[in-house]
Amino acid sequence: MSDANQPLLRVEDLVVRFPIAGRQYIRPVDGVSFAIAPGEVLSLVGESGSGKSTIGKALVRMVEPAGGTIEVNGQDVTHIRGRRIKDYRENVQMVFQDPFGSLNPVRTVEQHLAFPLRKHRMDKTVNVNAKIDELLEKVGLTPVADTRQKFPHELSGGQRQRVAIARALAVNPKFVVADEPISMLDVSIRAGILKLMNDLRADMNLAFLYITHDLASARYIGNRIMVLYGGKVMETAPSDELLRHPSHPYTRLLLAATPGSRHQGDLPETSNTAPNLVEGRRGCPFASRCPLVTSECHEVEPALTTLGDNHSVACHHPA
Amino acid sequence: MVTDPNNPVLQIEDLSVAYVTNDGFVNAVNDINLTLYPGEIVGLVGESGSGKSTMANAIMRLLKGDAIVTKGRVKILGRDVYEMSEKQLRQFRWSKMSMVFQSAMSALNPVMTVETQILDTLTSHDKSMTKAQALERAKELMNLVRIDTKHLKSYPHELSGGMRQRVVIAIAIALNPSFVIMDEPTTALDVVVQRSILNEIRRIQEKVGFAILFVSHDFSLVAELASRVAIMYAGRVVEMTPSNTLSLMASEKHHPYTIGLLEAIPELTADEVIITGIPGNPPNLRTLPSGCAFHPRCPFAEEICTKERPVAVTVGPSDIECHLYSGKGMKQHV
Repeated sequence: MSDANQPLLRVEDLVVRFPIAGRQYIRPVDGVSFAIAPGEVLSLVGESGSGKSTIGKALVRMVEPAGGTIEVNGQDVTHIRGRRIKDYRENVQMVFQDPFGSLNPVRTVEQHLAFPLRKHRMDKTVNVNAKIDELLEKVGLTPVADTRQKFPHELSGGQRQRVAIARALAVNPKFVVADEPISMLDVSIRAGILKLMNDLRADMNLAFLYITHDLASARYIGNRIMVLYGGKVMETAPSDELLRHPSHPYTRLLLAATPGSRHQGDLPETSNTAPNLVEGRRGCPFASRCPLVTSECHEVEPALTTLGDNHSVACHHPA
Repeated sequence: MVTDPNNPVLQIEDLSVAYVTNDGFVNAVNDINLTLYPGEIVGLVGESGSGKSTMANAIMRLLKGDAIVTKGRVKILGRDVYEMSEKQLRQFRWSKMSMVFQSAMSALNPVMTVETQILDTLTSHDKSMTKAQALERAKELMNLVRIDTKHLKSYPHELSGGMRQRVVIAIAIALNPSFVIMDEPTTALDVVVQRSILNEIRRIQEKVGFAILFVSHDFSLVAELASRVAIMYAGRVVEMTPSNTLSLMASEKHHPYTIGLLEAIPELTADEVIITGIPGNPPNLRTLPSGCAFHPRCPFAEEICTKERPVAVTVGPSDIECHLYSGKGMKQHV
């Protein structure tokens, strides 16, 4: 890192498109821009189909963007291929939602961790064995000697997710995409994983993109929250600011709908129709469900405008 | 519906359910007592493996395969569900008690229209009902759950997740049951849709007046919906408490597990968020800890907790199974 103020990751105008029937395309991610500094956590919040996981996959280059740029440490990685992707993934790793599906059932914990260590062995003098112990220690899977020989089915969901995190850390990444890492875990276990992520951020100056549908955990772990709907950014702000002064109607709906919020009583009745993602759509993606909709919303797409204090919103009728 | 408010709709007495395995019995539900009164919403909260779904299935007499009721009774409207003949049960189930399952996609038949499935439910329980009457009732039900009646002709895959769950609820209440079990009915849904389904459930419940046992792992959600909450751990109800005590702000005493759960959830609107979580992992039912099953994870555990299973005592408005309150522990009323 040459400049301390330079963001670790900068995404400009990211577009991902997938073909659908009839020679048409949908855009699950459409013109999304953000930056993440070293050691920062950005929470990406949205419902299923909002494009949040697709953004995560584009960042680790599991899908190739159709437009825009992704820069990491000042290097453009939007369309890199082959060996450069492998090198890139020494900086950027991913933790998946389902710790039952993301681990190989016939491999031990040790094998799971040895694989990335050997494949990405930058320094041939590194002792793989010692490194495995160190990783397991770091994610709190002790006693280490016991855990190493275990198969995934011998571990609980929380322990499995810790193995998945240890595996992501094996290559010493600077940035981790965590795609709903706690949503399949039991409530009593979730706090432990969130705290682990918090510790790793502090100890290793690790940056996270935390993908979730849960505002409470997004606020707990994230420095900033970005609310996504229909592949577009609706609102972004520092976490406390967003919860205290939500401006976009979708953010306010989300906040009121979350169990434990102070909002009581009926929500405005909105339709449940999924947003239109087909290329060439017009207007605001939330228009079909928005309680404040006007004819302008169906015609003109609102631009992301700054309200001050790093708080931006894309809405014709912000609160 | 004519039900005496003093006569419980559901009485569970000392219910135990075990799974038969090669290594013998594995107890999933242990000596549970639970009573529901007419028109009441009771929440049942627990982690995976705590036995909450097993218990729900046991109440409906829907246990499959290797699960058997080893002890106790389930009475609904005063009648023992396990003493009915197959034929009586078939009549009783769904007309007096019904269930909403977690996955709306697999609860509905993908190759039948919504109309066919609702009519099927109606006519198989009331042979005297004509098709026109049944269709009328189907429309009424669709209006009740607020889906356009044109969707009677739809197949499940043509509906959104929220609409499918509404259809499942419509089918569950089609025969005006006194008691409905809802087993994680909103878990697969997005937050906004979840909220609208919950509002729907509350609205219909107020209008029709059946009692609900609402099974969920989501503490804050259950606390909002239910009037009383049963907290399950390792096959036992370790605490039964009014839902308004379930907040860090409330002063009532709780089971250490309940306290742990309350502290494990980051609060949405609090000024400062500190979460602690519960150390360790949920127990394996095959090798259940001795005494109180929670003692290996409990910050207050002492010697007696490893030896003797606590019995429920009344503490303020709650019933709690814990030696902190049983009078047998050294540490008391922390």
